[in-house]
Amino acid sequence: MPAIKLYANLRQLAGTKELSVTGSTVRAALSELVKMNPPLGEVIFENGKLRPQIVVTINGRHAVELDALLTERDVVAIFPPITGG
Amino acid sequence: MIDQRIYETFREIGRDMYTANMISSHGGNLSIRLGDRVIIKRRGAMLGALKMHDLIETRIDKNDSGVALASTELLVHRAIYMNTPTLAVCHCHPRTAIAFSLSRDEIIPIDNESSYLLKKIPVVTEEFASGTPEMAHKVANALKNYKIIMLRGHGSFATGQTLDEAFQWSSALEESCQIELIVKQLNEPFIEYRKMSEAYGKF
Amino acid sequence: MSGWSEKILEIDLSAKTYKTYPLDMEMARLFIGGRGLGMRLLWDLVGADVDPLAPENVLIFTVGPLTATGYQTSNRFSVTTKSPLTGTALDANSGGFWGMQFRKTGHDVMIVRGKSEKPVWIEIINDAVVFHDASELWGMRVFAVTEKLGQSAHKRNVLCIGPAGENLSRMAAIMNDRERALARGGTGAVMGSKNLKAIVVEGKGRPEIKDPERFKFLLYETRKLLAASPLTSQALPEFGTSVLMNIMNNIGALATRNHQQTQFEGAEAISGEELTEKYLVKNASCWACPIGCTRISRTEKIEGEGPEFESVWAFGAQCGIDDLPAIIEANALCNDLGLDTISAGSTIACAMEMSEKGYFDSDLRFGRADQLAPTLEAMAYRRGVGSDLADGSLRLATKCGRPELSMSVKGMEMPAYDPRGMQGQGLLYATSNRGGCHMRGNMVGPEVLGLPKLIDRFQVQGKSSFVILHQNSAAAIDSLVLCKFTNMGVADEYFARILSAVTGIQYDTGEMIRVGERVWNLERLFNLREGFARKDDTLPPRLLNDAPTEGPSKGWVSQLEPMLKEYYRGRGWDENGVPKPKKLEELGLANLGEINHD
Repeated sequence: MPAIKLYANLRQLAGTKELSVTGSTVRAALSELVKMNPPLGEVIFENGKLRPQIVVTINGRHAVELDALLTERDVVAIFPPITGG
Repeated sequence: MIDQRIYETFREIGRDMYTANMISSHGGNLSIRLGDRVIIKRRGAMLGALKMHDLIETRIDKNDSGVALASTELLVHRAIYMNTPTLAVCHCHPRTAIAFSLSRDEIIPIDNESSYLLKKIPVVTEEFASGTPEMAHKVANALKNYKIIMLRGHGSFATGQTLDEAFQWSSALEESCQIELIVKQLNEPFIEYRKMSEAYGKF
Repeated sequence: MSGWSEKILEIDLSAKTYKTYPLDMEMARLFIGGRGLGMRLLWDLVGADVDPLAPENVLIFTVGPLTATGYQTSNRFSVTTKSPLTGTALDANSGGFWGMQFRKTGHDVMIVRGKSEKPVWIEIINDAVVFHDASELWGMRVFAVTEKLGQSAHKRNVLCIGPAGENLSRMAAIMNDRERALARGGTGAVMGSKNLKAIVVEGKGRPEIKDPERFKFLLYETRKLLAASPLTSQALPEFGTSVLMNIMNNIGALATRNHQQTQFEGAEAISGEELTEKYLVKNASCWACPIGCTRISRTEKIEGEGPEFESVWAFGAQCGIDDLPAIIEANALCNDLGLDTISAGSTIACAMEMSEKGYFDSDLRFGRADQLAPTLEAMAYRRGVGSDLADGSLRLATKCGRPELSMSVKGMEMPAYDPRGMQGQGLLYATSNRGGCHMRGNMVGPEVLGLPKLIDRFQVQGKSSFVILHQNSAAAIDSLVLCKFTNMGVADEYFARILSAVTGIQYDTGEMIRVGERVWNLERLFNLREGFARKDDTLPPRLLNDAPTEGPSKGWVSQLEPMLKEYYRGRGWDENGVPKPKKLEELGLANLGEINHD
């Protein structure tokens, strides 16, 4: 099953750093994640669309297509808005 | 040789512009800056259904595309790149915004998103509002200080780092004008909800 | 009065005299303040014949018209000089309180020339300047000196060097307000070479604001924008800059073990999340800043400001170390010694790789957290292995016959972002005027975080346009002088307007970015005059030839060549990277004249 890794304040909101989902597309996986952890919904989605400041990667590559298919071994990482210097 | 990914971005935003009713079938335009060159839609092509051969590449300081079919608006896009630091231009014909431009010299949004993002949209005017050096210069000058401006009766010109950003301002403007139109139709007293909003006009 | 203080303070350390004279307002209009004004003045004063550690080099401290006005982050200041590390034009900027206080003394610029025969410290109280004997302070570390000279947050602020600067380490930093740093390029060594230990400021003046109504409106709008941006209102205050550790590692752009890999298995252990959970006491901010990205961290041994992402990376992933407390302590030690953390960490990493491979004789090895503190001490005092490392990785690696193992550009060590995972960043490092630096136009916004919009980090065509824009914009912000984190929530057009409101001169957004372009080109001219050329706009061979063998950036090397070609054309430079006459005329740089040594 694809794994989802959470970072920064998403961890506190979900109460965990990592979990598995059954969804077969990025969109399905994220929806499942939000269903399991409703507080994440507001942070990740806005009017049903991914918040522009959220960064989602699949195996380290930015996920631009939410309907991209996920395989068993894929790792989806979700980061809230962040920066550095 | 235009990178496939660049073409795909043009195609996607072009499609968004058409489906959002921001352009007619063959109207509007998109361009980006690549170093000292510009990529722009070919004259006569449909933004809603762009093919790779619909994109032309030319120098910023003059048209060396060898293509007589470069858009009539190439002049204004080039002027924008020569006079501002922008990397992308989105030109739409947003209906409600155009209607508003016919009766005022600046559009000052009253809805939250556009007051926040745009503050004020100047309206400039030019008699031959298509493809002349005068028009190009006027539009480019106005864009030196604003992300998006209206050319009276013609349409919007918006700048951004990417096509997606430039389109975002255009879309926000049109939404803002539609909201204001509805407010006028409702014709009820306006309850001001934004502090210091009287200063937006001086932005 | 115009929004600038209109006064330059010039200090002659050799003669122990000082004078003030008016700021050229035409120069101010074109270069504004901070980095821009500093660079313009440096051009006149320091030519190719000047050794960076000789008395003929100068230190030019600058603030801008916005400094101390109370606009968000209007606390920053700059120092400009010729770098002992790279030999290029160098400016470094810092936050805290010192810059604000210096502005309140009623000056825009302080030029420090010559060399004092004996150690000296300077006290500036409004327009009075006093030279004090520093023989008792010489040898003291930064924290002790800062306290001794009366550091008091809003009222009296201390800027100083530590042992690293005194011993002329080419990575020495100038420190202010105890733990803020004018870090990169060896600014501290220049100050040490002048026998100048500290500069203390106290001021009662207030900067003039030409249009207070407009200023108030923009202040309010900025407050709203910063509060609305999740970065500046949540992520930065809560996790600080180190929250980038996990994301850079996730996408395979975290330089590891002297750039041998692009992912670090210990990233989680040194992440911002870990820092916040286990070692963070609270966050803090510089003067007039609502963001509060500063960390106050505590381990069993120390408590202090920092560490920042780059510092954690330099002692962490770059050295193969996942011991976060040791890293926090190393950062604190660098603050006390007055050393740049990025260059120090990356130099140690270079020494580690060369030692493991037998090119350098030392017991330094990747992963050895216990070696950090003693090595840093040795570097600051030029003792033992420290004497080899004190002047940076390029000199070290060259001495060992392996210059290609220094992960630097023009001699300045690159920071965390690996160009093989971010094409634009590679171009940025190769072309940055002060050497391998990310602050000259960080592409992490567009290439990683999607700010303002996401662009493909592996795309090459068209990337140079973004780098140019970001370089110009960063140079403009460094000339105002404001903190670049404000730019994460507030667009450039606000900065142009606030500048207009304060100075009364109408700058439009394009004009303001144009200032940045002007500054960039002037820095380039300075470097060309020094003898830098196209061949120096490059990256270490490892990044051009050795692709990572695993991770998301697997198979990618930096495609510098085509990006560089496009970059030169986009900047209006010829194929050798020399600004064309037309571009110089456009920017008002065509008639700069000769060096004025008076």
